[in-house]
Amino acid sequence: MNPRSRGQILHALGLIAVLVFTIFPFFWMVSSSFKTQADLLASPPVWLFRPTLANYADVFADQKVIDAVLNSLIVALGSTGLSVILGTPAAFALARYEFRGKSDLWFWFISNRFISPIVLALPIYLLGLQLRILDTHLVLILVYVTFILPIVIWISTDQFRSIPRELEEAARLEGASQFDIFRRIYLPLGLPGIAVSAIFGFIFSWNELLYALVLTRRAVQTAPVVATSFMSGYELPWGKIMATGTVIVLPVTIFALLVSRHMVRGLTMGATK
Amino acid sequence: MNKLLRTVSAAALYAVATFALPMPSEAAEWDIAKAAEPYKGTELNVVFLDRPGYRAIIKLLPEFEKATGIKVNYEIVPYENTREREVLNFSGQGDLSIALVDLVWIGEFAENGWILPVDKFANDATITDPNLNLKGFFPLLLDAFGTWGGTVYGLPFDNYSGLLFYNQCMLKDAGFDKPPATWKELLEVYAPKLTDKDKKQYAFALQSLRGETQSADSFMRSLWPHGGSLLDKDFKSNLLSKESQAGLQYRQKLMEYMPPGIVSWDHAEAVNALAQGQVAMITEWSAFYPTLTDPKTSKLGDCLAVAPEPAGEAGRLPALGGFSLAVAAQAPEEEQKAAWIFIQWATSEAIARAYVDAGGVSGRMKVYEDPQVKATYKFVEPMVASWQKGVPEYRPRFPAWPAVSEVIAEFGTKMMLGEVTVEGGSKEIGNRMEAILKQEGYYDGKKKLLQ
Amino acid sequence: MTTPSTRRRLAYGRWTPFWFLAPAVLALFLIGIWPTLFALVTSLRRYNITRPRDGFPFIGLDNYVQVLTDPTFWDTLGRTAGFFLVVMPIQVALGLAIALMLHRPGLGMLRSLARVSLVVPLATTYAVVGLLGRLIFNRDFGVANALIGLFGFPPIDWLGNPTGAFVAICVMDIWQWTPFCALIFLSGLSMVPVDIEEAARLETPSKWALFWQVQRPYLLPGFTAMLILRSADVLKLFDMVFTMTRGGPGAATELISIYIQRVGFRVFDMGLASAQALLLLVITVVLARVYIRFFYREIEA
Repeated sequence: MNPRSRGQILHALGLIAVLVFTIFPFFWMVSSSFKTQADLLASPPVWLFRPTLANYADVFADQKVIDAVLNSLIVALGSTGLSVILGTPAAFALARYEFRGKSDLWFWFISNRFISPIVLALPIYLLGLQLRILDTHLVLILVYVTFILPIVIWISTDQFRSIPRELEEAARLEGASQFDIFRRIYLPLGLPGIAVSAIFGFIFSWNELLYALVLTRRAVQTAPVVATSFMSGYELPWGKIMATGTVIVLPVTIFALLVSRHMVRGLTMGATK
Repeated sequence: MNKLLRTVSAAALYAVATFALPMPSEAAEWDIAKAAEPYKGTELNVVFLDRPGYRAIIKLLPEFEKATGIKVNYEIVPYENTREREVLNFSGQGDLSIALVDLVWIGEFAENGWILPVDKFANDATITDPNLNLKGFFPLLLDAFGTWGGTVYGLPFDNYSGLLFYNQCMLKDAGFDKPPATWKELLEVYAPKLTDKDKKQYAFALQSLRGETQSADSFMRSLWPHGGSLLDKDFKSNLLSKESQAGLQYRQKLMEYMPPGIVSWDHAEAVNALAQGQVAMITEWSAFYPTLTDPKTSKLGDCLAVAPEPAGEAGRLPALGGFSLAVAAQAPEEEQKAAWIFIQWATSEAIARAYVDAGGVSGRMKVYEDPQVKATYKFVEPMVASWQKGVPEYRPRFPAWPAVSEVIAEFGTKMMLGEVTVEGGSKEIGNRMEAILKQEGYYDGKKKLLQ
Repeated sequence: MTTPSTRRRLAYGRWTPFWFLAPAVLALFLIGIWPTLFALVTSLRRYNITRPRDGFPFIGLDNYVQVLTDPTFWDTLGRTAGFFLVVMPIQVALGLAIALMLHRPGLGMLRSLARVSLVVPLATTYAVVGLLGRLIFNRDFGVANALIGLFGFPPIDWLGNPTGAFVAICVMDIWQWTPFCALIFLSGLSMVPVDIEEAARLETPSKWALFWQVQRPYLLPGFTAMLILRSADVLKLFDMVFTMTRGGPGAATELISIYIQRVGFRVFDMGLASAQALLLLVITVVLARVYIRFFYREIEA
């Protein structure tokens, strides 16, 4: 009895430590966003203070931040959606069919994720210039597909492989086409894995900075670009920076929290089988 | 008199009336609305920074847009990304119609044909203000910020001089009733008395963050006043000369009296340290004056005082920096003309007073003759004094500067951290810099030695 | 043994896989490979877009020679490897510990709260993490010094000294990516069939035996994925360090991608930057191959 309850206390303490570890910096950002400049620069830092909404008023007075969040939303949804549409059939083929060079193809898909944005930023800039698509949502959506698609293919392939083949027998006997099998059996059953890859894809493209810096100008600035634009090097309006940070991080965090159940479950079905 | 001038320069007019100075725009007719008539509806694109001079012009902008019907789209970019933005835009036929030119970019922008000489427009009377008066700019500024190889490209817009900002209360408590006149005095007499490490009080802070801050504010400032320089007359490294070494050694010694971690300090940290009373003196750009006087960002109040930078063995050679505006060559012709009208307006004598009152620093001499301006803004006198003489090539303005600046920034900070010796670091910078300049073709007579 | 293959031949045509794969292959080819090829060609040229007048002449392998003989390139690469070797073991160890805690039965409410909280660091914009790091590790008003002050340590000038800054970027990276490792391990753990785990629990009181003999095999594929993704990400790591230290002080936090960005977008020597980045890509691909060979055989089999 005794060692067991001691174990439980340790377990609880451990979990609380995890909570503090993951939440603290986030909490610090949010609480800083409610501080006045004087409170922010106080040394040692203050824990209790009279909160102010001035930083948020500042942020929202600036149409830029709202626009940026909208831009990020369009780009993240667009690139994630496109990646799922392109990636799931490919994952189905990798999971279901045997053909020569399969593992090489799989590896090639995955390795697109390895390419550093720094190497591609300039070629894509020059290409986008010729095609006149710089500073549009489209160019970012297309570029982000290069690193979301590999994730979708990776996780979905694993997911599809864990679906027992017997399930498709019946459909096949009824004369369903391969595409029907993919659409009616694999897509619904593989949904958790697809959802996970979509969530990761969404987060990655929401957060991307380097391509966005190079490929956009005024019209399509995304959230991270705007967040860094406050570091002018002359004065650092910490309250405003942290408020912007909160505004940018909050939507994706809430979204991720809502789907976090799927996230764990999907990974569960994905990574191992 | 047109509507624009009436509204925008109400303050200037007031000053004129009070002190009976001749008003330049009375001399000749310049109807900006009429000049801009053919370009109504044109949109201009320009990159701005998040600094006082830009906030000031943004405040005045509605008047310009109303009078001319020309729309100015500005994008605010952090300084560190500005050149990247503009280079990508210009090299790819982008949408910028006006170039914001830091003095160290003028060589690169001009030699690549990205910006157009003023002459191209100044002779066209329909779009040129008769009071353009290029001679009304401080010659040093027009020369350094706007001119390359003898041709004027840009008009000085956002102008800085290095100044000594100091906390006169702290100095008084330590027994000094005036600021140090020389760097030697600063180090040997003032610094020891003003530093109390236990109380976390330091005599001086020199912003030295890796980047242009290190190369411009910290490294070059340690060379010139002591008689050193980056390059000799053949464009070889001059860093190993006795004077250059003495200057860099001086910086190491002065670090004793600076807060720890100074190599991670940018302008914001240095200004804030003075504003919060942690350091007694900083050498910073004149543009920080509003930050240091604003009670929201500064505790200094009446303790703030401003003087020219101390002199060295080679005399007073304060840091020089600033931006000009130039017409971008890539813009369509109509847009270029509209851009020219805007640039003239933004740098004109007519709005200079309003610009200064909105927090900007004009490059026009006339506005500072006004006793009221002198009385209101403590930085004016030392700044004007600093602009009387100086070296335009304080930092070389040739196209290779950005690459050289990266090298200086890396080894300059390593030097301060003690990761390389002053001599070793100087050698390293010299070798790498000479390799860059060799590739540029400066050593085989292919390229004129312009800086 | 003819039956399965005949059946398969009946099930779908030869070209069926092709049609399923074509869209993804085509898309990646157009927007991934084409620019990579462009970079490859660029790496063989002198290509500085701030010197348009010099043209972009082919110079053979000069750029590669310059990269390989450039001490700064090797310094930054070594620093990046050092960074990886510091953060990765910590992330794996902490991640595994967290996953085991979350997998352990009991305390349902607290457990799911902790599990959900893992998502927060993951979802935080990298650039914002860097900004936050600057605030947290500020010498005067940073909370890091306040926290170590509680234990009697004197304040540290984190971002102002080389070691401190390196530690600070490690801490922020560990904060952001440990949850990722924890989630992957957790998913591996929950794949262990319940009956097998129960039987093992009854059979042996040793938690270690349970972990090593029963749970470990289920964790390996996820572990490989983690190694591959994290290696690639560390080699690409840019946003957080850029906003936090810009590679300073000195070169203390100048990781490889910060350096390449400097060469590519400050000096604008795109030829050299392309050569550097392609060498980096080769390193990543080789690393991934090695990991897969050692840990992740399924896909090959």
